[in-house]
Amino acid sequence: MQDTQDNIKLFGNLITVSGIFCLAVALLLLINYWHIRQTKPLETEALKSLVQQFQADPESEALKKDIRSLDLLARKAFFTSQWQIKAGALLLLFGAIAFATCLRIYHTMKARILEPLIDGVDSKVTRMLSQRWILITGGLLLGSALVVSFLTTDYLKIYEETGTVVQAPAEPAVKVAVVDKDEKTGRQKTEDGGQEDGKTVVGDAGALVIPAKAGTSPLSSAGVLVTPAKAGAPSLNTDFRNNHPSFRGPWGQGISYHTGIPVDWDGPTEKNIKWKVALTKKGNNSPVIWSDKLFIAGADNESEVVYCFNRLDGKLLWEQDAKDIPGSPAVPPKVTADTGLSAPSVTTDGQQVYAIFATGDILALDMEGKRIWAKSLGVPDNHYGHSSSLICWKDKVIIQFDTNKGGRLLALNSLTGEISWDTPRKAKISWSSPIMAEIDGKLQIITTSSPTVAGYDFDSGAQLWAIDCLSGEVGPSAAFADGLVYAANEYARLAAIKPGPTPVIVWESDEYLPEAASLAVSNGLLFIATSYGMFACYDSKTGKKQWEKEYGQGFYGSPMIAEGKVYVMDRSGAMHIFKVDRTLTSLGDPILGEKSVVTPAFADGAIYLKGEKSLFGIETIRQQKK
Amino acid sequence: MKWLKIILFLLPLLLAFSDLEAQQRFPKPEFHTKYTQPTPTTPEPRGVGMEFVDVLVLLVVLSLTSWFAIKKRSRNGILLLTVFSAIYFGFYRNGCICSVGSVQNVALAFADPKYVISLYALLFFLLPLIFSLFFGRVFCGAACPLGAIQDLLIYKPITIPAWLRKTLGFIPYLYLGLAVLYAATGTEFIICRYDPFIGIYRMNGPHLMIYLGIAFLLMGLFIARPYCRFFCPFGAILNVFSRFSRRHLSVFPTKCIQCKLCTTACPFEAIDFPDEEKTKPDTKSNTRRFILYMALIPVLMLAGSWIGSKSHVFLSKAHPDVYLAELLISHPELKTDSKNIDIQTFLASGKSLETLVAEAQVIRDKFYTGSWILGAFLGLVIGLMAMNQIIFRRREDYQANKGNCYSCGRCLDYCPVE
Repeated sequence: MQDTQDNIKLFGNLITVSGIFCLAVALLLLINYWHIRQTKPLETEALKSLVQQFQADPESEALKKDIRSLDLLARKAFFTSQWQIKAGALLLLFGAIAFATCLRIYHTMKARILEPLIDGVDSKVTRMLSQRWILITGGLLLGSALVVSFLTTDYLKIYEETGTVVQAPAEPAVKVAVVDKDEKTGRQKTEDGGQEDGKTVVGDAGALVIPAKAGTSPLSSAGVLVTPAKAGAPSLNTDFRNNHPSFRGPWGQGISYHTGIPVDWDGPTEKNIKWKVALTKKGNNSPVIWSDKLFIAGADNESEVVYCFNRLDGKLLWEQDAKDIPGSPAVPPKVTADTGLSAPSVTTDGQQVYAIFATGDILALDMEGKRIWAKSLGVPDNHYGHSSSLICWKDKVIIQFDTNKGGRLLALNSLTGEISWDTPRKAKISWSSPIMAEIDGKLQIITTSSPTVAGYDFDSGAQLWAIDCLSGEVGPSAAFADGLVYAANEYARLAAIKPGPTPVIVWESDEYLPEAASLAVSNGLLFIATSYGMFACYDSKTGKKQWEKEYGQGFYGSPMIAEGKVYVMDRSGAMHIFKVDRTLTSLGDPILGEKSVVTPAFADGAIYLKGEKSLFGIETIRQQKK
Repeated sequence: MKWLKIILFLLPLLLAFSDLEAQQRFPKPEFHTKYTQPTPTTPEPRGVGMEFVDVLVLLVVLSLTSWFAIKKRSRNGILLLTVFSAIYFGFYRNGCICSVGSVQNVALAFADPKYVISLYALLFFLLPLIFSLFFGRVFCGAACPLGAIQDLLIYKPITIPAWLRKTLGFIPYLYLGLAVLYAATGTEFIICRYDPFIGIYRMNGPHLMIYLGIAFLLMGLFIARPYCRFFCPFGAILNVFSRFSRRHLSVFPTKCIQCKLCTTACPFEAIDFPDEEKTKPDTKSNTRRFILYMALIPVLMLAGSWIGSKSHVFLSKAHPDVYLAELLISHPELKTDSKNIDIQTFLASGKSLETLVAEAQVIRDKFYTGSWILGAFLGLVIGLMAMNQIIFRRREDYQANKGNCYSCGRCLDYCPVE
């Protein structure tokens, strides 16, 4: 009996010792954790300060040495701490096992001398108490749930009922500007001013804010409702016609409304070359023009840049990096050299310019280069590189985002960058660009991809019609004229489609098919430029071939119609100019002097071309200037 | 027996050195961005063959526990299996998959036709239930790693008043209901996320998990198995199943001699006392109460379902999509917060707010149905638990309560009857 008592005492003591040991180790672990959390050895201010000093003085060997020493010290501290945590955890584990074992032995020995309980506790009183408390607890739980349910705001319901998002009451739209509709551009023009009842205003965050009106909405008292702007009626207005706002001109239709376009120049001898500037970054995008400003983009692994030149003298007015965009990949995606990181052309509405890159970064800049908004759409899964150009109209920027993971057509609010609508497409990856056209009084966005050619409502993004007629890797964009949509792709077909609820192929051909160059239609004639050097003209209504001409170089740049002429540049940089006519009438083959894969841009009396190394401003220069 | 012990201890060691582990699923850390790899919440995937080794081990442990508890009446055997389970299912298998968490896999499989439950998870769910139908809660006795670690650290168990114990017994049902709701709606496996002991078994994990584990173990020194008794959602199911077990552990082998030693032995207060005259209820008033509860239960269920349906809005806020949609609606200015990783990820996806809201609404609709059912279930549980207090069962001996007994075998050690 005495031995048992001694053993019980011994194991009791062991329990105490092992318990204290466990507590001590646990305490040390907590202190270690707290210490590491406080000091953060890998993020010391001293190291950051040294790195900053080093950036200012990158040649300093002393700084390099200091940084290395401090870094080593910090890492040692970190890894020592890690080791301590692991060792501590193991010690704690062993301590706990010892504690548990001693406990078990202690109880086993002690059990033999325990006295049994005298009375049970299961009585009427206990049962009554249990009932009462079960009911009270259940009631409290259900009551609390009910109270919380009434106190909870259903934001989804608010959004669905009002179509609005709620801005934080602490940050009301402080700086507001009255928005009037610019009749010329078709978009809202802003000027600083006070908030007035009933007028749409723009907050400093760029979101459209409708001022509060009592009783208009459950949230109206806060005066912070935000609604998207509504698009107006379609009609290609004068400002768009007078400029070259996107890839292949206004609405991307391949038609320029300018006159006095030169037909004769020579790059090597600088004949009619008004200016020429070297490009600093690669970009297979085409120039875009608004008034005197010409925009292009370029990108390499270091940065993505939008450039603005004075089109009159070729001087660089500004350049702006697409940097610090949340969600932008740290490393650009792998793309092929003939597509590059900046194949999509920029677009402008005269107040802002919009650019997208192969990284999926998209940004809006004002005409002075100040960033308005930027966002990442996520890196498009595209084995050559994203190349679909942007197009804008009124309050929307349209993006055809067809990737290996599926197709989408998006409209971003041009003021805020927010998604106005996002329509999933039954489309495989494509490289073509969207065009716009007014069909049956409705503004539509027309896209080509494999296998579908489709029309979408500009305002809602709803697909209005679609027809499967293409295949392969679709690069050429569509053309539209006289109620017919034209689409083509190499190894597929050329089709003239009558759009509508039940679209019909009016005629088709597979003789000459483009790989990259888009189609152009004018005056009842359709022009096709192939990558193997064939340029052909068809009757756009019947599909009957009118003429063809073969060149040694293929065409990647798209044909453009201007002033009754069709301009198409082959890959060597030779521009081939024809009369828009049923008979082949060549008007010249001026050369640029360097290779080119892009599409020309036009202004009155001038054409702007981009080679692989330089940007050219071309005008007919009078003799006395020579 | 000696060989059996050797095999039981060598098996986990052999398996630990086995090279049959599946390939690591997660990519190596990358250093060119500021992205921080999150701490994995589940152990590395296991080869299919090894998964069935786990099932086999579980089956063996359950069988042996049943044998030790019912036939062999050996507390030491059960204790040995408890240690083994802590080592194998706990430290070696890192507590995953465990039967407790498998409830959620089953719930998700029922709710989401696209989710296919693995046979591995299904067997981990079913085997303890089947055993409990025949032999009581033998899974809790020795096979559950969560129970094992608590069982081994019981120090000086205190007696909890019966009314409090019974009231707290409601929590596992509430936890079960919420776990099923969140799993079925694809929100989260909350049992796994708030499992207090996984962090200890893995010697790694979120701080909340580690602190919870330490808190439960410290509490467990004085309140035996606090998680099993007052939180475990799987225990709630086993409790019900075990009540129907035909061959449950019996405290005494032949006849109870009313020595009451078993009441001292059981730290879980799972021994039912024989009835005394003074505890017998008045039959007339009891019948009245019974009828009252029978009428009250449908009312409680209706009230619960109504309150549940009202609560679906705040319950659904735990779903990441609903949370994000509401955050973007209520705080649109956060779109410019580059540190908000959820919002930045959403913006980078290119998905529109309208699409997100539509998806969130679908999820909320599911929550409406789920919360409705949850409320009715909780109303039923409250009613049945209260009604259970007036149901009188005649007992002449000290018996293990089939629902609450974990078949740990402590009482067997104490019973002097040969």
